[in-house]
Amino acid sequence: MASNQSDLKKSIMDTKTLPTLPNVIHKLNSLSDSDSSSVQEMAKIVSSDQVLSARILRLANSPSYGFHRVSTISNAMILLGVNVVKSLALSSSIIAMMEHDSIGLWEHSLGVGSAANLIAHRLKLPECEEIATAGLLHDIGKVIIKLKCSDVDKEIQLRVTTRQIYSLEAEREVLDTDHAEIGGWLAKSWFLPDKLSEPISFHHDVEKSCNNRVKTAVIHLADVLIKSSGFGDSGDDFVPSLQNIAWDILKLDKQLLDELVYELEDKLIEVKNFSFEMLSN
Amino acid sequence: MLPTKVTIISPDTQLTSQLHLRLHGIGCRTTVLSCKNSVMDEVYTDTPDLLIIDLSDNFEYGKNIISTLRNDSFFSMVPIIGLLSSIEESIPDWKQCPLDDFIGQPINFNELFYRVSLALTRLKRIFDNNPLTRLPGNTSIQMAIEDALGTSTAVCYVDINHFKPYNNTFGFTLGDEVIRMLARIVLNTVCDAGRGFCGHVGGDDFVCIVPLHRAELVCKTIITHFDAVVLDLFDDEIKQRGFYYGTTRKGEQENIPLLSLSIGVVPMNMHKLKHVAKVSEIAAELKKRAKISSGSSYTVDNLSS
Repeated sequence: MASNQSDLKKSIMDTKTLPTLPNVIHKLNSLSDSDSSSVQEMAKIVSSDQVLSARILRLANSPSYGFHRVSTISNAMILLGVNVVKSLALSSSIIAMMEHDSIGLWEHSLGVGSAANLIAHRLKLPECEEIATAGLLHDIGKVIIKLKCSDVDKEIQLRVTTRQIYSLEAEREVLDTDHAEIGGWLAKSWFLPDKLSEPISFHHDVEKSCNNRVKTAVIHLADVLIKSSGFGDSGDDFVPSLQNIAWDILKLDKQLLDELVYELEDKLIEVKNFSFEMLSN
Repeated sequence: MLPTKVTIISPDTQLTSQLHLRLHGIGCRTTVLSCKNSVMDEVYTDTPDLLIIDLSDNFEYGKNIISTLRNDSFFSMVPIIGLLSSIEESIPDWKQCPLDDFIGQPINFNELFYRVSLALTRLKRIFDNNPLTRLPGNTSIQMAIEDALGTSTAVCYVDINHFKPYNNTFGFTLGDEVIRMLARIVLNTVCDAGRGFCGHVGGDDFVCIVPLHRAELVCKTIITHFDAVVLDLFDDEIKQRGFYYGTTRKGEQENIPLLSLSIGVVPMNMHKLKHVAKVSEIAAELKKRAKISSGSSYTVDNLSS
């Protein structure tokens, strides 16, 4: 297993690009063909896709640009410019559209991004956009597992359904690591700032986050809430419990949580419409 | 002098391994890109000193890569050598395929090395671009302003407020990053406005020339984008407070506001403008006025007569 893990780690560090949903690329292209396309409009579409978002943040933080602290999609797009983003999108490889679980995971990520944004605003936290981006990217490790070891991914899914365990446990059994750690590796090798890499690495174990605990706790909560809402498909059939430490860090109480759940229901209708629009041809 | 980093784009593995070996033999570090999907990612993230692109297999595809790089001043200076399958009677349309040089196949490697070293020497000769931002420098700026005199364009002088104390307090590495960020913002905004010129005078001073009717929109966009990006540079506490404790230009310790921009806009269709020096003189005055207001602002010269 140990060699398996280090092989996997090496192959992740070598990952230069990941596949994106074709409709996202299509929408972006049709937008950038029109003259009036602005950074803001493009940012809205890019922010719906975890893979494209991660690639754009990677580029903005990469050595050739030399910006080291870009943690929001809109700022990355301001710095890169419409043309670079467009050419990056054009050079995307594409997920086969019929892959049901890829769409499920895409929706789950979109949902967690929106939920994280809502929670951050509701708790009046600073850097809401960074938190939303971290939410969008939190399961990027799952995309890598699907891509880099599709056989293992099938084994993980089999264990999840037959033994009714969490995918996190199944991943650890099969891979000796999990999607959170894998996502963290990718975030590091793609030069993403700590604000993003910590919530990705520790969204299932908030305590391990050192410098960005509040952000990590928000992503953990958002993940739990989205799983319990049934929005999208993260690959788990069961809702994990909310960690006490996240509850304490965010100073939650029952009333606040009820309000958040209520507001999230409304928000998810909006997100569902957006997702429908993005997935329709 | 030979390059350190050469990127080779070709699907032909036999060709690339041969090129790799030969170039390696003369001290080049080569990267071979064959997968179409990650080519732009790779070139953008690890910009080569020189690019060799195989146009014999898929001319259209190669042409797109070349034009994409040429359209971005960040990458436009990378010399590109094209590998052509054969030299034919009809001359290719170089405007559509802006190469620096080409070589026919089968490759004569000594000839290729000649061309590689020549491309790099030529690059040094014609380069007045600022090394930090890779934007055109003062000679090009002067020429661009001269060309703009009397036309319905506007010259915008952009500079950063409170940049010196930021540099003193956070160090020049972070200061340089701010300069590069502003360079990207101005450049991207000018590109989005359709056409125009963008240059780096030096330090935190930039110049862009845009169509007069777009000038105010360009200023507003540059300011909005800069104000948004600046927030990535300070931690939560400083952002909430709106200032930090640092060293001023005079070496005194005091509260210093976050970075912002001043832009002076000089319409070029004014009669009194006969010389480039006059333009920068008016711009300096306008920037002074813009700096009076706190935060980012721009001032358009309305003394046209």
